[in-house]
Amino acid sequence: MDDSQAARLVEVTLRCYPARWRRRHGEEAAELAVLLIRDGTPAGSVARSYLAGAAREWLTPRPGRRATAVACALLVVICSLCVSAELLASAGPARAASTSQAQGRARCRPGLLESVPGALTVISRPQLLIWEAGHGWSC
Amino acid sequence: MIVTIRDGRAGRDVLRRVGEASVLILISLADGPKHGYALIQDIKELADVELGPGTLYGALDRLERLGLIESLPTDDRRHPYRITAPGAAALRTHLDSLERVSAAGRLRLRLGGI
Repeated sequence: MDDSQAARLVEVTLRCYPARWRRRHGEEAAELAVLLIRDGTPAGSVARSYLAGAAREWLTPRPGRRATAVACALLVVICSLCVSAELLASAGPARAASTSQAQGRARCRPGLLESVPGALTVISRPQLLIWEAGHGWSC
Repeated sequence: MIVTIRDGRAGRDVLRRVGEASVLILISLADGPKHGYALIQDIKELADVELGPGTLYGALDRLERLGLIESLPTDDRRHPYRITAPGAAALRTHLDSLERVSAAGRLRLRLGGI
């Protein structure tokens, strides 16, 4: 990764911080990142540290920040995770469908979500319905 | 929450729950004001710990909110920080506490015959 790419990566991660934080530390943080990368710290590691810091910054309750804002931020994170999991899950049955259709309808392979014990049971049901609607199977 | 000192003595160990990074920052600032980059370099030298920049700013904000450090005015982009009197007292209390625990641990190790 060259200098301009590293600077761009750090710039993007610094944008994840709240505006108040950026006003106070933004310029110094960008300069610090340049110095650390010049010293040999991998740009990815600097960016990861800033990303983790940004997440902590958003999730830490502050006197000026209402609890609902923190709850909303948490909700957005959870929703993003669910959407990602849903996309993964829909890719799993599609792959399974292409193989098991060739072998006949008698077999019905579990999707990706079923391979994760106890995980995402709430969203696994809609995934199953889409699967049934697309292929007319019942599992 | 601002840490206060009564009768010149530090109260309970407020640094017990602030995390290792915050304690290292206070130790680094104990010998004079430093800005972010200098803090990272100093902590790497004194404790062999590579503090990530995200962790550093989180800890600096927390310590400042607690009144244990303060930001010094500057025209530069870099903000130097210095330890406050309550910060120094809290660090002393914490280090005393660590010393007691460390001594007890060493004693028990010897008693245990390891």
